[in-house]
Amino acid sequence: MQSDVIIETRNLTKVYRDFWGRKKVHALKALDLEVRRGEIFGLLGPNGSGKTTTIKLILGLLFPTAGQALVFDRDASDVSKNERIGYLPEESYLYKFLNAEETLDFYGRLFDIPRAVRRQRVADLIEMVGLNWAKRRQLKEYSKGMTRRIGLAQALINDPELIVLDEPTSGLDPMGTREMKDLILKLREEGKTVLMCSHLLADVQDVCDRIAILYQGELKEMGRVDSLLKVRDVTEIRASGLSAVAQEEIRQAIERHQGQVLSLDNPVTTLEDLFVNIIRESEEHPGRRVRGVSQK
Amino acid sequence: MVVDLIDVTPFLTWLFGPGWTEGFLFHTLPLSVFLLVMLGGLVWLVRAIRAKEGLTSPTVGVWISVTLTAAILVLLIGLTVWKSLPAETTASISAKFVQPLGWLLGNQWYAGAAYQWLKTAIGATGLVFATALLILALRRGPREAFVVTGQSLGDTVLDVLRMSPRRVAALALLAVKESIRRRVVVVFALFILLLLFAGWYLDPQSVDPARLYLDFVLTATTYLVLLLALFISALSLPADIKNRTLYTIVTKPVRTSEIILGRILGFLTVATVLLVAMGGISYLFVLRGLAHEHELTADLLQPAEGTKAEKDAKQIALRGATSRVHHHRHKVTITPDASGAGIVERETQPEQGHVHPIKVRTEGNQTAYEIGREQGMLLARVPVYGKLSFRDRTGQPTEKGISVGDEWTYRSYIEGGTLAAAVWSFEGLRSEDFPEHLPVELSIEIFRTYKGNIEKGILGSLSVRNPKTGKKVEVRFFEGKEFVIDVQQIPRRLSTPDGKTVDLFKDMVDEGKLEVWLQCAEPMQYFGVAQGDLYLRARDASFFLNFVKGYVGIWLQTAIVIALGVLFSTFLSAPVAVLATLGAIFGGFFSDFMYRLATGKTYGGGPFESIIRLVTQANVTSELEPGLRTNVAKTLDQIVEFGMRLLASVLPDFSRFNFAEFVASGFNIPGDTLMAYTCRTLGFVIPIFVAAYLCLKNREVAQ
Ligand SMILES: Nc1ncnc2c1ncn2[C@@H]1O[C@H](COP(=O)(O)OP(=O)(O)O)[C@@H](O)[C@H]1O
Ligand SMILES: [Mg+2]
Repeated sequence: MQSDVIIETRNLTKVYRDFWGRKKVHALKALDLEVRRGEIFGLLGPNGSGKTTTIKLILGLLFPTAGQALVFDRDASDVSKNERIGYLPEESYLYKFLNAEETLDFYGRLFDIPRAVRRQRVADLIEMVGLNWAKRRQLKEYSKGMTRRIGLAQALINDPELIVLDEPTSGLDPMGTREMKDLILKLREEGKTVLMCSHLLADVQDVCDRIAILYQGELKEMGRVDSLLKVRDVTEIRASGLSAVAQEEIRQAIERHQGQVLSLDNPVTTLEDLFVNIIRESEEHPGRRVRGVSQK
Repeated sequence: MVVDLIDVTPFLTWLFGPGWTEGFLFHTLPLSVFLLVMLGGLVWLVRAIRAKEGLTSPTVGVWISVTLTAAILVLLIGLTVWKSLPAETTASISAKFVQPLGWLLGNQWYAGAAYQWLKTAIGATGLVFATALLILALRRGPREAFVVTGQSLGDTVLDVLRMSPRRVAALALLAVKESIRRRVVVVFALFILLLLFAGWYLDPQSVDPARLYLDFVLTATTYLVLLLALFISALSLPADIKNRTLYTIVTKPVRTSEIILGRILGFLTVATVLLVAMGGISYLFVLRGLAHEHELTADLLQPAEGTKAEKDAKQIALRGATSRVHHHRHKVTITPDASGAGIVERETQPEQGHVHPIKVRTEGNQTAYEIGREQGMLLARVPVYGKLSFRDRTGQPTEKGISVGDEWTYRSYIEGGTLAAAVWSFEGLRSEDFPEHLPVELSIEIFRTYKGNIEKGILGSLSVRNPKTGKKVEVRFFEGKEFVIDVQQIPRRLSTPDGKTVDLFKDMVDEGKLEVWLQCAEPMQYFGVAQGDLYLRARDASFFLNFVKGYVGIWLQTAIVIALGVLFSTFLSAPVAVLATLGAIFGGFFSDFMYRLATGKTYGGGPFESIIRLVTQANVTSELEPGLRTNVAKTLDQIVEFGMRLLASVLPDFSRFNFAEFVASGFNIPGDTLMAYTCRTLGFVIPIFVAAYLCLKNREVAQ
């Protein structure tokens, strides 16, 4: 039986150095995290917070300065782990002189997939990402959104168990974004594990089961999205059909219990609040975990 | 033709050392069975390893490290002890332990290329291992260094053995597509353009137009293809890293070895296709450029002197020259043969290294001459070389002839009008190879102490001598001209001055051995000769095949350049990789010179000694006066020499890979030479591949 932990990082640290070996950027500081089978895990953080660095370390594209990243219980530098991984880079780094079919066929060959299977899968994937009408056109003629789609198809060519998506919705129109999110949810239904990173809160909130919030290379927050957003010392009351008198009564009742009424309006996107709070607090007290929110 | 492709004995001697056939191994086990078993075992091993999952375990890593370290220590200590022993002891030990191996492998097995490679490979592995161990020990401590180095060495082997053909093919195909996108076609267009311009430029008045044409196409192809190979190979990986297309590749289950091999194979495919196309076009270009016919009409001919009776019988020779085409005309002599219907000499006189056939047609009173297409312009002579020795002016054997003052020349001189002679000893002559005569071709240098008639050559004589009986027969006198290949034929039946005839093979050749003597007949004049200047021309090989072999030579060079380009591009940025490859190629062209410099075979010592000579204006051959200054200079030179020797032995000696000279001067490229160079190429490409693998493997792709 395989273990339930798909990705594990221990004290993962990355310092970018320049040509002379001088320290340039401390991009990731002692990250510990676990991604479990079947979940959608989101890395959230503003630009430059170390999300992409984390993903590259996990994929073995970078070597850690300290610590270790394990994927399927193997070291990140082991190529055989890649058999079961699909990766969509931040920008689709594909060969511009190939067309969609050639691209998928090429990556299929890299997985040593036999010819017949490869053909079928290439056709299916092109159909799935909706590029059938442009499959014979060279990628240099593609728009950003189309490149993104073919990039996704490329990441799924080997029917991977773990899918790593770096900013999956960047460059997509609202409809494309919606489709991408639906697709991610569908992948989870198929029992796949997804690790994605984004700076877009809405994306993360909509699809992720668990998130980790990074800021300047430090882990600020990690946990289930629902429990993270549940603010324990805040009670939110929403009701309809209350008269002004009833509202006043409730207000008084709260004050009687030493509570304080914040608002009785519709709540704003709470993840955004959380996020902004974390960043603000981090700037005031750098290097501290923000709140002791439960891990589950 | 076929024969010279399969004459592998010199090749095997080169590979395994002289005397490889003496060994037990060769005699008792048929070599093929042995090799088959080895091959089968290897295939089995590879399959077993490929089937296994995962990486080298730390335990195996430690085991590899410990074994290697122990081996290196034993080797180093052994070598030191060996060097410190007195010469007699080492000689007796070697007699006890090394020579006994001779029964197995044949004596002098340690002079063969295979052994030399093995030695270099072991040395290189040791060096890489020690360096890696040292670096890791400094960074992560000795314990981890031991585990990690051994493990990665094991992984390297596994990685190479587990390459998937499909992935390699996919990556190679990608490299081909990328090259096409980089407009390889432009190079081809450039080549065609060059040929078009060359048509005007190549001087048809030259004495040897075939050489001119062949030299041109081969040189143009070499430079264009090597340059192209350099750019496509050195620019590819850096571009993939810059565009980050490599990220998408290395996150697939692609091994580093596959990335390197795929690239090398892909670019090699491109170069091959280009070479085939260029070769085909070059061949046609040369054929067309040289093709011509002359005309011979009656008014170009004049009757020679003759008796009236002969005139009446229409048996008088007509002399004249053909029409002028391609800036030359051929002299012809038309002598009617006995029947009166044909002619005696059916060819024109040679000019620019070729002749034309002549045909006569008679209709009633009209006689018309038909001159055919040129013949003998494109050749692949198969020379048989002899060993050169000398006799001095009194007829005594000496090692060298005399020097005429120019110390740098490689020819030795024999004095005219004396007993001095240049003697070529040939071996392995068989009468069935030379049914009509023994064709001898020679080209000599002439050194005149007085001018004489500069128009005329210097007279020389050619004799043959039986090396056993010492019987010597003069074959003929000839007029020696400088640097023209002179064709002499030694007939099977020779007449001696006393009127007897001797049979060349019965009387003069002893067990296939024969000496050919060259003497200069004019006093105070000298002939300069070197070993390669006189040879027997056994037969001609196909020119077309020789031309193809010339292109194979270019292909081998291309393979090395591509491997070098890929190697440098694994750790350098694009422009630096191009420069580094270019540097390696240039270094390779001069590695021969460097090697001579490094082994002190040039005059005047190393760079530091030369500086002293420059400053003190000392002669290059005189000894420097002993003293501190000289000692310091010599020591520094030794250090520089060591570095250069190292460099020279690492860089491929490109100049020797060039077979263009063979093709252009009309000599067959021996099959075993080609095989030896193919092996040499592999000998370079394999370590370059491993180095490239290690560089890329330990590089952060996303940095
Ligand atoms: N190759 C690199 N060399 C030096 N610094 C880098 C490199 N890549 C990223 N960085 C720096 O590391 C930090 C984290 O970058 P990244 O992981 O790309 O952030 P994110 O993906 O969260 O936007 C940033 O400050 C960035 O400037
Ligand atoms: Mg990023």
